[in-house]
Amino acid sequence: MKLLVGAFLVSSLVSPRVPAQDFSSDSDVRPRAHIVYAAETHTGAAGKPSVIELHFRVLEGYHVNSHTPKSEFQIPTSLKLDPAAGVKAGAMQYPAGTAYSFSFDPNEKLDVYSGPFTVKVPVVAAPGEHHLTGSLHYQACDHAACYPPKTLQLDVFFTAK
Amino acid sequence: MKRTAGFVVVMVAGISLMLWAGWHNLRERRLAVEKAQENHVVLVPDNGTANGSSAGSAGQGDQAGGMTTAQDEPLKGKPAPAFTLVNLEGKKVSLSDYKGRPVIVNFWATWCAPCKLEMPWFEEFREKYASQGFEILGIAEDDAPKDEIAKTAKRVNVSYPILLTDGKVAPAYGGVDQLPMSFYIDRKGVVETETIGLASKDEVEANIKRLVGSGAHGPTTASVALPLGSVR
Repeated sequence: MKLLVGAFLVSSLVSPRVPAQDFSSDSDVRPRAHIVYAAETHTGAAGKPSVIELHFRVLEGYHVNSHTPKSEFQIPTSLKLDPAAGVKAGAMQYPAGTAYSFSFDPNEKLDVYSGPFTVKVPVVAAPGEHHLTGSLHYQACDHAACYPPKTLQLDVFFTAK
Repeated sequence: MKRTAGFVVVMVAGISLMLWAGWHNLRERRLAVEKAQENHVVLVPDNGTANGSSAGSAGQGDQAGGMTTAQDEPLKGKPAPAFTLVNLEGKKVSLSDYKGRPVIVNFWATWCAPCKLEMPWFEEFREKYASQGFEILGIAEDDAPKDEIAKTAKRVNVSYPILLTDGKVAPAYGGVDQLPMSFYIDRKGVVETETIGLASKDEVEANIKRLVGSGAHGPTTASVALPLGSVR
């Protein structure tokens, strides 16, 4: 009996294991989205000013308006964080955009984000782990078409030590 | 002797159990991989380029071009969905008001730069082909206030009817998830061509020529034309 039990234990050790179903890489990829955001954990000093850097990436082939587009009709990229207990967030710091013109209209200069871009959020947080939620509102185009404005939901994890 | 035989039996049973457990786990892993593959999301551009078609043509460079494929034209050959919308002056305008005339239904938005580039072309071609009954209906698929839509239309110098969306017309046309999107509707009320994204000016005119040419010697008045479209 001991041998049987032993054999069973050994078999369970040497046999290939079923991996935990981890689709985290896929869950970051949102179908029909033009920007991806990977939830990261951030740390900072408790009770002191810290800066959370949120990293986004505009998918290849697309661009989104910067936070300060040149035309009044363009929809700016805008980050919003929901109020959270123990965390005081300051004004968002957006990167400068880059100049972009559609090939069919080289005279009109737009101010856009393409590829990776980072939005910085100054915070002062009480000690502990904080889960912030928010959203990034943006409007994307490719070289010939534009897409309706979208909102990307965000989860931000911040630990103040 | 008996003890040795018993030991052998136990060993055989143990090895069999190990093999079975290994096989079972392998099978489970394969099933998990298959399930993971089912959940795998392949992100493709919304613009239809993944379908392998680009309709760019002379005068606009390689980058420009309406990106229409057969897959992108679900309404092609079908009656154009009917609609009644309000224009910028507050009056009701129905697609059926244009029975017997070749019409482009063009979805656009104030934030859509390619849309605003082709709208003056439409205005130009509207005048050029007016004698053949050609008309454009621009539907602002936009959350912007009416005065902002009017301001944009004025800025791009269009005088054709600009209609305000009711939130139902875009789904009726297959869901307008990118702009500009245009439906070329012939005199019989059938969608002849759909275009997604900006096409070259030459291509736009070619589509219009084909549209006004189809059934050009046929009915051009409401009294003898077939009814336009139907509500989905």
